[in-house]
Amino acid sequence: MYKIVVTGGSRGLGLGIAVRLVEAGYEVIAIARKSTKELVAAQEVANRDTPRLHFRAFDLSDIDGIAALVKQLRAEFGKVYGLVNNAAVGTSGILSNARVEQIQSQIQLNTVSPIVLSKFLLRSMMAGGGGRIVNVSSIVGFTGYSGLSVYSATKAAMIGFTKSLAREVGQLGITVNSVAPGFLDTEMTSEMEQSHKDTIARRSALRRMPEVIDVANAVEFLMGEKARNITGIVLTVDAGNTV
Amino acid sequence: MTVRSTILSEIYKIAVAQKRDISTLHDDLPLMDSGFDSLCFAVLVAHLEDDLGLDPFSSAEEIEFPVTLGDFIALYENAART
Ligand SMILES: NC(=O)c1ccc[n+]([C@@H]2O[C@H](COP(=O)([O-])OP(=O)(O)OC[C@H]3O[C@@H](n4cnc5c(N)ncnc54)[C@H](OP(=O)(O)O)[C@@H]3O)[C@@H](O)[C@H]2O)c1
Repeated sequence: MYKIVVTGGSRGLGLGIAVRLVEAGYEVIAIARKSTKELVAAQEVANRDTPRLHFRAFDLSDIDGIAALVKQLRAEFGKVYGLVNNAAVGTSGILSNARVEQIQSQIQLNTVSPIVLSKFLLRSMMAGGGGRIVNVSSIVGFTGYSGLSVYSATKAAMIGFTKSLAREVGQLGITVNSVAPGFLDTEMTSEMEQSHKDTIARRSALRRMPEVIDVANAVEFLMGEKARNITGIVLTVDAGNTV
Repeated sequence: MTVRSTILSEIYKIAVAQKRDISTLHDDLPLMDSGFDSLCFAVLVAHLEDDLGLDPFSSAEEIEFPVTLGDFIALYENAART
């Protein structure tokens, strides 16, 4: 059974992706700093017969610890076929008021960490003769959004990373793609006013917001055999918000 | 299998998988002239980490990439001894 690592798989979009991938037949290792009630509930369903949804606690902003994390995962789970770089923080605020440390820590978690984690897990995919990386970007990485300049920079970075890495490892049978969700109802957007969400929905072609399951389906597609000839793309899932 | 024979057999396997023409392997062969590019060496290092449990390139000190095949093998043989 193919094993997939999903970062930030404890709640929100990451948990949705982890559950979808388990349903699609993969074995998933979710990583976050701490587990959640929702994850434990999902594990109870997923692990009824055989363990299919695992959780390992790790703070992904600890860049120096990533090599050891991957070593431990390899020892415990063997070859890893896929990686979903989903964990990120979405701190908003006016750039001129932002603290420098806050800017750095956001870039560290949203950009440096997934790049380093990919570096180490790629080894396993290279030795395994193929693999999949899916990077979670965001529509704000190419549309822009006031108050999200740092976050948008990190999400745009994942697109450039996706394209170049896709070229680098394509000949090894490894695909690298991004998904760019529009605004989703998760903890990350919990401070957004309802009227604001209504405006986003009204301005979208489909007159609604995309849901976690829509993005999870897109990730499952990119992970699967049906997407074997798709690499280096950005798959936008935004209910037509940016068309 | 010895470290040497493991390395040589992985090189042949990767050459087939990646469809590369490789030169006759001997210790003085400069890696640059081997027919492998940097990606092939990355794949080789990944396989050797699995086979031998060794990755001399990720140790704390910065290591220069070896020049000849003999240097490459010696690097792994030394790592296996320590
Ligand atoms: N929500 C949206 O509208 C939206 C739109 C477009 C794109 N996205 C993208 O979708 C992805 C998921 O977002 P979300 O809305 O699901 O966010 P979320 O609900 O805030 O969940 C974030 C996840 O990342 C984990 N995480 C955060 N910091 C971590 C750290 N230092 N180490 C390890 N794990 C960490 C969290 O677990 P812990 O806190 O326990 O560590 C959690 O599992 C992100 O890449 C985001 O940029 C979201």
